[in-house]
Amino acid sequence: MVTTSRLIAYLSLAISLAGVIPLFVWLETFPRLIVVLGLAIGMLQELRQGRWYIKSWQLNLALVPIFIWYILQYSRSNPVQPVVSVLAIMLAVRLCGEKNTRNLLQINLLALFCLASTSLFDLSPTFLFWLGLLLLLLPVSLIVLTFHAQNSRLVLQNSEFRKILMAALLILLVTLPAMAVLFPVLPRTAFPLWHFLNPPVSATTGISDKVEPGSTANAAETRSLAFRAELPRQTQPPYWRVTVFNQIQGNRWSRNPVVPLEVSIPSGASVSQTITVEPSASRLLISLDTAAEISLPRLKVAPDAVFENLRSFSRRTSYTARSFTGGILTGSVPIRRAFYLTLPGKLSPGIRQLAARIRQEGRSDAERLERAEQHFLNGGYRYSRVGLPTGHDALDQFLFVSKQGHCEFFASSLAILLRAAGVPARLVGGYLGGEYNELGGYYLVSEDRAHVWVEAYVEGKGWVRTDPSRFAVNAATLWSERKKPGIAARLRLLLDALDYRWTRTVVSYDFERQAEQLRSAGAKLQTLEHAMRWRWLLSSGVILLVLLALFKSRKQWFCSREERLLRRFKRIVKHRFEALDGLDTLGLFEIAAASGDIRVRQFVDRYAAAVYQDKKLGPDEIRQLDRLLDELQ
Amino acid sequence: MAIAHTVKPVTVLVDALCKDHLQGKDEVVRLAVIALLTGGHILVEDLPGLGKTTIALALAGITGLSFGRVQCTSDLLPSDITGLSVFNRETGHFNFVPGPVFNNIVLLDEINRAMPRTQSAMLEAMEERRVTVEGTTHQLPDPFMVFATQNPSDQSGTFPLPESQLDRFLICTGIGYPPEQLERSIIAGGGIRERIAGITPLVSTAEILTARRVVEQSIYLADKVVGYIHALVQSTRLHPQIQTGLSTRAAINLAQAARAAAFLAGRDYVAPDDVKGIAVAVCAHRLVMRPGQTIQDRGELLREIISGIPLPLV
Repeated sequence: MVTTSRLIAYLSLAISLAGVIPLFVWLETFPRLIVVLGLAIGMLQELRQGRWYIKSWQLNLALVPIFIWYILQYSRSNPVQPVVSVLAIMLAVRLCGEKNTRNLLQINLLALFCLASTSLFDLSPTFLFWLGLLLLLLPVSLIVLTFHAQNSRLVLQNSEFRKILMAALLILLVTLPAMAVLFPVLPRTAFPLWHFLNPPVSATTGISDKVEPGSTANAAETRSLAFRAELPRQTQPPYWRVTVFNQIQGNRWSRNPVVPLEVSIPSGASVSQTITVEPSASRLLISLDTAAEISLPRLKVAPDAVFENLRSFSRRTSYTARSFTGGILTGSVPIRRAFYLTLPGKLSPGIRQLAARIRQEGRSDAERLERAEQHFLNGGYRYSRVGLPTGHDALDQFLFVSKQGHCEFFASSLAILLRAAGVPARLVGGYLGGEYNELGGYYLVSEDRAHVWVEAYVEGKGWVRTDPSRFAVNAATLWSERKKPGIAARLRLLLDALDYRWTRTVVSYDFERQAEQLRSAGAKLQTLEHAMRWRWLLSSGVILLVLLALFKSRKQWFCSREERLLRRFKRIVKHRFEALDGLDTLGLFEIAAASGDIRVRQFVDRYAAAVYQDKKLGPDEIRQLDRLLDELQ
Repeated sequence: MAIAHTVKPVTVLVDALCKDHLQGKDEVVRLAVIALLTGGHILVEDLPGLGKTTIALALAGITGLSFGRVQCTSDLLPSDITGLSVFNRETGHFNFVPGPVFNNIVLLDEINRAMPRTQSAMLEAMEERRVTVEGTTHQLPDPFMVFATQNPSDQSGTFPLPESQLDRFLICTGIGYPPEQLERSIIAGGGIRERIAGITPLVSTAEILTARRVVEQSIYLADKVVGYIHALVQSTRLHPQIQTGLSTRAAINLAQAARAAAFLAGRDYVAPDDVKGIAVAVCAHRLVMRPGQTIQDRGELLREIISGIPLPLV
């Protein structure tokens, strides 16, 4: 039992919270404060049973200067914040003020607007949750408000409240088919409007345009998401090839945009994948190992199989790619060896000696590469992100003194060694591994997975991938598959899978996809075979029947226990006493008298005693009545 | 299901009467007892010789109530019913000699043979439960119940009761011929007037008054049953063949009678069946048909209307 006024107070608080919480993170400090204040005062008023300290008109008057101030703030470069702030402040003010029916309706509307305005900032699946919550609460609030407007002292029984809840749920359910129809048809934006107007400062990627070991002592790590790649799970941690650094100056590797011509054909098993990248300033395209093709309308492919988009990704974007995972790029045309053998002006004597030894021991590119790899394998190097050698002789220190460093040290020193030993080599930047999300069927790759490895050119074979970091003594612990994830990790993966699905199916659902769906639907209809058609007809018929049956039995689901008992009683009596006609026009006692059955009489006596004295049947009584009916049956 | 023990005998009154004395008249007896329990009056409308008077006598006998009888004729005067003051020579005063109306159960035989003037005097007593003779008001005894009989109005020498006066009767019913087997045994056994004279009372006056209070106060009438009564009344008002539907007084009487019927059924709450069971007896005589529609029996029409109203079962 609850009075409507109390119920409405709770509902309006819940609605305001549902509207304002998702918006809160995007608000500026002042509106945030006002919102918190408004909510607090609203709750206090409820606790003090609705005594108003501030008159409505005073509050409205106080709003005017704020309103004017925000109007002045409004400009083309800042169109959203003032509007959103005013919305939030108005909601907060309504919460503090007196709550008559009109004000309560305003609260409902403002909360809905607040939630809607969050989509200007962000298109995340949590929006769906808040929207669902509001869509459930609002009809309840509206129904209760209509009662409240009629009689403000009304007290709702629990059963009545349950009925209202059911009605609200029903309204929500009824709107679902309409939503399903509208979703593919309505035009939409695939990115938040606000971000479109003001592109955010792009997140820095783990991949930079240069590799310079020895510039810092400690490498920073960010766990922010780089991209997701939807493809079957790979047996080995996959290499995500992004860019190639082909020239070295001092200790710094960078990419010379004038890449010497080569024809490289990737080999190995072909894998198709869908990559969804986070917004970033980088225009380089990511793919598993070496991509053969990427389905984006405008892109540039360098001869060394580096794919570049013509513009950066201002929003989360998906593209599909086909790759080969062999790790070897077969060249059919001789490469410009000189370009890939260029060394920095000065090499330390240690490196020079080591390179000379490798050169002597190995006769071919393949042998020299093997010797160089052997050096790393047997050298006892450790992979570490801290305590890195710095300075201009950092590589020398890494190779011969400290013997610990991160991938840049490994790759950089191997490439230099190879070049010095006469084997063409280059650095490849990308990502290694990733967390496989079994639920979503995709790899989740964060920025800290950024990695650098080496491609060496072996005459007769082509560019061969070699990753010296894997030869570190502690490599097994670093790149081996992690053990079973804990509950928190699994929950995170589940949420991420939801987020991913939301992006793939809702946010990036655009006009292209709409047209594609129509086309594929048409094509499917044409190719549908007769047998298939029958099956289809049959299944839809069955579904229709089920729906009809559900519709017929809807009263069964939505009725009180008394009604259920009565219906069962009538059915049994009709079945047992076929001679009784006009059962529907008879009263209970008339039925009892006409049937002449003592159990019918007992049922009627007990049932009627409750029903006609406005008493609820207790669970015990219902059990007894059911037992009587069982006997009758 | 909790009818107080003290009033238990009243509920078995009908059974006792019908089993031993008035075979085949269960319905009329039940209605008469209902009238008695609600403080209403009953009008029995049927041909002479079907036992109207017998029922009234038996009812008076078994309840131990005093019984008065007025045989209405066209020259009957109001004072013949109410009584009159007679000059007493010895005391030199006028003494009031009460008429037959000063009894608990008054049989008004063939009420439609009396002149309208006499009828209205009687009906006034029924409504007010007191009689004013020559400026002095005399209270009638309690319980007070009029058991009027009337011959079908197409018989000669009758003054039909106007609607407003018919409305005063809680119940109007017929008797009908007894079933064949029963009638044969009645023929063989002869009349039962003598036996009725020797009937022993089953209940006391106090018990009847208590029962009446129980009916009035302790029988629960649920909202849904009130709704049913209202739906019934409403549909008589909207029916195309009926000129004047049931009045609010009729609805009140219906509820009262339903309470009494529930009481007699041994229940302390009213079921819609109770309403349905006595609706024709309580309501049919109050309906005023449209001109040209008088051919159809009012009882039949009402039964038809009732069968169209769904009973509240949940």
